[in-house]
Amino acid sequence: MTDTYKDSLAPNETPEEREYEFRAHIGSLWTGGRLAIGISTFLYASEAFAYFYLRTSNNSHLWRLPGQLAPLYYGWTVLICLLLMSGLAIYGQSRLRKGFTNDFQVTGWTGVAAGLIALFFQCWELVKLPFYPGSSGYSSTFMGFVVMNIMTIVFATFWMETTAARALRMRKELGGTTPELSSAHTARSFRANVSSMTYYMGFVAIVSVMFFLMFYVA
Amino acid sequence: MTISAERPTEATAGTASPAGPRSGTSWTNRPGWMSQHLGTAIVLGFLGYLFGHWWGNYLASGYTYIANNGQNGVADFLGLAFMVLGWLLGIGALNYPIMKLFGREAREEAPVPGLSRYFRYTLDHKVVGMQYVVGVLMFLFTGGLLAMAIRTELLNPTVHIFNPGTYIEIVSEHGTIMMMMATSIVVGPLGNYLVPLMIGSRRMAFPRIEAFSFWIFTAGYLVIFSALFYGGFPTGWTGYAPLQNQAGPGMISYLFGFAVIGIGMICAGFNIAVTIVNYRAPGMTWSRVPMFVWSILATASLLTLATPVLFTAGLFGILDHVVLTSFYVNEHGGSSYLWENLFWFFGHPEVYIMALPGFGIVAEIVPVFTRKPLFAYKVAAAGMMGVALLSFFVWQHHLFQSGINPDMRPLFMLTTELISIPTGFIYLVGMGSLYKGKMRLEIPMLFSLALYFNFLIGGITGVFLSDVPVNVTVHGSFFVLSHFHYTIMGGLIFAFMAGLYFWLPKMTGRMMNKKLGLWHFWTMFIFFNLTFFPMFIIGLLGQPRRVFEYAHNLQGLNDFSSISAFCLGASFLLFFWNLMYSMIINPQKAPANPWESLGLEWQTASPVPVYNFERIPVIVTEPYRYSEPGAPAYADFGGGGSGTGSGSGTVGSSVQE
Repeated sequence: MTDTYKDSLAPNETPEEREYEFRAHIGSLWTGGRLAIGISTFLYASEAFAYFYLRTSNNSHLWRLPGQLAPLYYGWTVLICLLLMSGLAIYGQSRLRKGFTNDFQVTGWTGVAAGLIALFFQCWELVKLPFYPGSSGYSSTFMGFVVMNIMTIVFATFWMETTAARALRMRKELGGTTPELSSAHTARSFRANVSSMTYYMGFVAIVSVMFFLMFYVA
Repeated sequence: MTISAERPTEATAGTASPAGPRSGTSWTNRPGWMSQHLGTAIVLGFLGYLFGHWWGNYLASGYTYIANNGQNGVADFLGLAFMVLGWLLGIGALNYPIMKLFGREAREEAPVPGLSRYFRYTLDHKVVGMQYVVGVLMFLFTGGLLAMAIRTELLNPTVHIFNPGTYIEIVSEHGTIMMMMATSIVVGPLGNYLVPLMIGSRRMAFPRIEAFSFWIFTAGYLVIFSALFYGGFPTGWTGYAPLQNQAGPGMISYLFGFAVIGIGMICAGFNIAVTIVNYRAPGMTWSRVPMFVWSILATASLLTLATPVLFTAGLFGILDHVVLTSFYVNEHGGSSYLWENLFWFFGHPEVYIMALPGFGIVAEIVPVFTRKPLFAYKVAAAGMMGVALLSFFVWQHHLFQSGINPDMRPLFMLTTELISIPTGFIYLVGMGSLYKGKMRLEIPMLFSLALYFNFLIGGITGVFLSDVPVNVTVHGSFFVLSHFHYTIMGGLIFAFMAGLYFWLPKMTGRMMNKKLGLWHFWTMFIFFNLTFFPMFIIGLLGQPRRVFEYAHNLQGLNDFSSISAFCLGASFLLFFWNLMYSMIINPQKAPANPWESLGLEWQTASPVPVYNFERIPVIVTEPYRYSEPGAPAYADFGGGGSGTGSGSGTVGSSVQE
């Protein structure tokens, strides 16, 4: 979802062709965003499968040692940061749609900060675990989840950062501070990219809550 | 149709926006050798490996467990991980993501002349396609050499060339390399090269992701190959636990290699699926999409959705080896069946990742050489998607013998047998297209016919194997081995060869030598069958896979199979010789449309310009209207000169050039 639209690929491209390719480009951002959610869904689904499979198997009665629980403090912090990042992405997009580019930039950079904090705590949690990684099925799947979550946070934060950074460079094209939408191709492409990113952030929020419940509550 | 027929021949060029791509060249994409290319990738990959290995030792060598067993999985893993990172950094795959961090757009890619563009990170899908051709042939050649080693060992049941450990390493490496190669052998070279041309697009949706998929694919090849230097892995290509957990550091190469190639497969599938959905030319409704594109779309869907599960399985295995989790360790709350489930949840769709593109190729070729429309086009398209969908519901048949709840067996037997229905549809579409056709037995057609012959044997034995009693009886034997070689090699590799002979004239502008091609085909077809058909019998007589000793009474059949295998190997040498001879030693210029195909890819100029089509074509009819007098040309090129047919052109006129 990071490829941006180039106005002209072929020499002597007609305006109709350019418009056609531009629509294909916007469609690609839309499809790509949803497909990225599909890919991540299968990633997390396999993690969830491992969780429930080992939990049901309970081999050697070692699904989970008595009292074994991942540190709740870190879990809450990561969850709140990710929910904040997702919420800011959604709010930022709604402001962008109304032409308030500065608001989008503020929410974007704040969201990036939240993502980085989440990333820090998710990594730091690994060195503060009160159990050995291989002590049980639970501890193993928790390790798998943390690694997967780190990858997702890195990807989501990267995507958000690139849109925020791009918005800074494009502030004139996007309409500056006036509440109007630019119809330039680059601006429309940017908004489509933000839209896909926002959908992905929504997915991150849902997954974060589900896995928080699985690993820290259930 | 959104682009009307009245198209101006001149257009105002788009004005570059201030925030748009920057022009000019940086040192990273400068033409010539003083920039990022394969050489820098190798250097940085090597340095990355050294750094990662050192860092891993620094981090973990003090731990008691590691000090006691003398094996540092952290160092082995970090070495490989930083090797991949260095490789990607060296080739330039990370330039764009880094620029994006600063809100910048990439510079325009400078045109790179000559051969050096094939050693670079490039955004031209045709160059990526050619890179893939070389990449997969390298895979194929390596895996083939290992196959020769296997058959050499099996010449005698008691006199050995390798010790048992080395033998299983060779078998494992052969299987893994071949399976990873096979997942990309059509999607990579032909999918990337041809799909935009066949759908009338000037570009891929995400060209950087496409290029990334190739270069990470090659990095994955190096990682899997590195297992040989780590002492190999003893599990076969399936990597079953608990043997996986007992294996040495070569297992990390296997697991990490799978994960790395998995990322490449996801990227390739993602890009191609998005391109097909969005970049089809105006007028190309879903009922006008070429069958090869349908097959690639089905495959791309599988790659995109099934491969993440393989990635996760690999990740868990790496964690087991590196940080000592216990995903696959029964005694610590894990389960070896977890690996089997995750692996085969990817592994069975993978079978169709390998089968569908092959059928797509022959569905494209058969109408050309029979001069008949493709029979039951919609059934074939539905069959492709049906197979793709059903392939997610059959994976447990690989676990019939592994401890699956017996009550579950009939269900998965049923789903497995169900999938033979859409597969049968696709097969019958081919038969229907051949029926009463005026066949021209050119080399691509011969390979296509061979696919139908081979796949019939492979497919029917597959139906046998889906049946629980048969499955239990022949499980782990040469019968199974022969079955999947008939489907994968007899199906996919023959189709790939058909595709190469068919499309190389377009891709390279040169014709393959027909005489050498015929020799290649007949030797490959005959010796393929002589190699693998006896293995059905060997398997039924009880010889197990992956074991280097066998009963004396099976030596005759094994020797026959081995000698045939050497001849089969020689047929590939014929192919490589033909490739060298026809492309380099004695190149013959190919006509613009040597097979008189109606496909869109043949209607554009040769060599294909960077932007594929001078005018975006408008599709006006179905793709396979051969031998229909007065049928309109497939596409209207707006008089731009790229197409052979005009808006009012006929099929006859469109195939003349």
